[in-house]
Amino acid sequence: MSSWDDEDTASAAATTDVELLKRAWRNEKAAPEILRFDSPLVSRAREQIQLLEETLEDFTDNGVDDLVVSLYQMDLDRALFLLRSYLRLRLQKIEKYMIHISKSDDLMSRLSLQEQRFAKSCTEIMEKHLEQSVLSKLPYGYDSVTRQSLSSTEDDMVPEPQLDTFVFCKTKSDVGAFQLDDIGEEIVDLVADDLYVLRYKSIKGLVENGRIDLI
Amino acid sequence: MYGRRASQLLKELDSCEPGQLVVFNSDVFDQVVRECNEHNAQFQSLIRKMVDQNLDIETTRNEDHYGAAIHHLSLLRNKRCLIAYMYNRAETIQSFRWKLGPVLPHEIQEKLHFSEKEYFKNHSAAIKSYISEMDIDLTVDMVPPKDPYIQVRVLEDIGEVSLGDHSISLTKNSLHFLRRTDAEQFISQGLMEEFLE
Amino acid sequence: MAGQSDPHLSLFSPSEVEFVAEDEIVEIVPNIRMEALNMICGDFGPFFPQIASKVPLWLAVALKRRGKCTIRPPEWMTVERLTQVLDAERESPREFQPLPFHYIEISKLLFDHARDDISDAYLVRSLIEDIRDVRFHKVETGLETISGRTHAVKLKNLSAMEVNIVRPFMVRTLQAFYKHDSPQMIQQADNTGSSRSTPVTDRGPRRDLRHR
Repeated sequence: MSSWDDEDTASAAATTDVELLKRAWRNEKAAPEILRFDSPLVSRAREQIQLLEETLEDFTDNGVDDLVVSLYQMDLDRALFLLRSYLRLRLQKIEKYMIHISKSDDLMSRLSLQEQRFAKSCTEIMEKHLEQSVLSKLPYGYDSVTRQSLSSTEDDMVPEPQLDTFVFCKTKSDVGAFQLDDIGEEIVDLVADDLYVLRYKSIKGLVENGRIDLI
Repeated sequence: MYGRRASQLLKELDSCEPGQLVVFNSDVFDQVVRECNEHNAQFQSLIRKMVDQNLDIETTRNEDHYGAAIHHLSLLRNKRCLIAYMYNRAETIQSFRWKLGPVLPHEIQEKLHFSEKEYFKNHSAAIKSYISEMDIDLTVDMVPPKDPYIQVRVLEDIGEVSLGDHSISLTKNSLHFLRRTDAEQFISQGLMEEFLE
Repeated sequence: MAGQSDPHLSLFSPSEVEFVAEDEIVEIVPNIRMEALNMICGDFGPFFPQIASKVPLWLAVALKRRGKCTIRPPEWMTVERLTQVLDAERESPREFQPLPFHYIEISKLLFDHARDDISDAYLVRSLIEDIRDVRFHKVETGLETISGRTHAVKLKNLSAMEVNIVRPFMVRTLQAFYKHDSPQMIQQADNTGSSRSTPVTDRGPRRDLRHR
């Protein structure tokens, strides 16, 4: 079967930070839970963006051709959109599962420092709001925000993402026979570039180490 | 019927357009809270009755036990509905910050419970805090960027117009390649339209 | 906020799918000379009149709109190739023919901004529309055949826009069968993941009553 894409430009493009940022953005969009913050990538992207912003200022000062300026401006706009979208998406995920995230050391460790502060603030603010408007008016023993009552044996009132939701994904290279469940009844052969719809929970690990992309 | 008023709150949430809010229903809300406290009073008195009869609360299964169980479960259900009501509304309020900015329009403010107004303010501040720590505004750029220039067709004779450092002649039916930001004012006045080849 | 994505619908808005597609590489023939562009998204050029060059689609369209180049339609966008693909699509009811992942977005952008560079543009366009229809119909019938607990679905050669459109239906169908093997439970499964879900996983009543 002939390949429709140019192999060389595809592999060259795959190593730019914009490509990596795009991949991080897509994974984050498709994953039900919050993924690990890619701090080095975000730093590099910001540096490049800042450099380009300064370059563009120089260009306009030095009367560089309008056309060239427009093109670099579009490149900048595209990179900025990706970066903003990525960060915003994560904030919105934190908003959605703030209590669940704040309670979990593992999940908190996936956040940047600023995101951790945001998660903690959000949770305090939400808890205060619920306390003030609902919980303080309920009888003793029923006033916890995370548990229905004192007789709950676990936190049964915390919204959590559904990790067993189905996601669309593709692997870049052959993964081969992969076990989807705990018992070994569900095995799937993951071939490079083929598109699969699988339970997120089963492939979580592959997403984390970059072997599979969510699309 | 226990739990019916609480269901009303949930039905209200459901009937609303996603991303919108209806007026906070203080009446029903307060009634549900009152019901919770009534259930608790009943629960307590049934338990006390069993204790007074020297019955082991943990193991006895008589009508008072089951009565108490019903009150407990009804209370729990009411609590879940109250929290669901507040929490879902809070999620919509969060989305307002992203869609509408840090100041809510009057029509929306009217629909909020006072605690919700405070919630919006505090939550907005948390977002603002993150934005300033990161030094990057996340409330702009909500849709992918397009070419800053667009092709336009002039609909009426406008004449000579100066744009930045040069001027152009906007005669009726002429086509121009302009910055979107420059064209917007004419487009919104119906003097120009965007033209796709 | 028409272009903004709604997580409860198709995950990516159409303009976001297009945005991703705009990074696909196409070939242009410039009519100007321009120095190399060292952009964040990559290095392209330098450009010489009449010398073909490879650039991302967004850049190609920008240059084309400013009259600085013509765009060479990709190899697959010819009447002959597309007719072959359409025939093959029709002949194999359970397979999708290989096409570029962004074939829909690429062709749309080229039709909108570079129609004059496509030979038999009208025919090419109508072939692509037919191909889209046949493929989409295949996805729909495929969904109907999902029964019982499915742990994986392979959708070889499905394209970006097609994935995005079919995603909510596919996920809901698979989820329904995953959670409860019996079809009557599909209604209930609809509540999971909806914006109206209460923040409680209903673990059922607890009977351990304690005296305070």
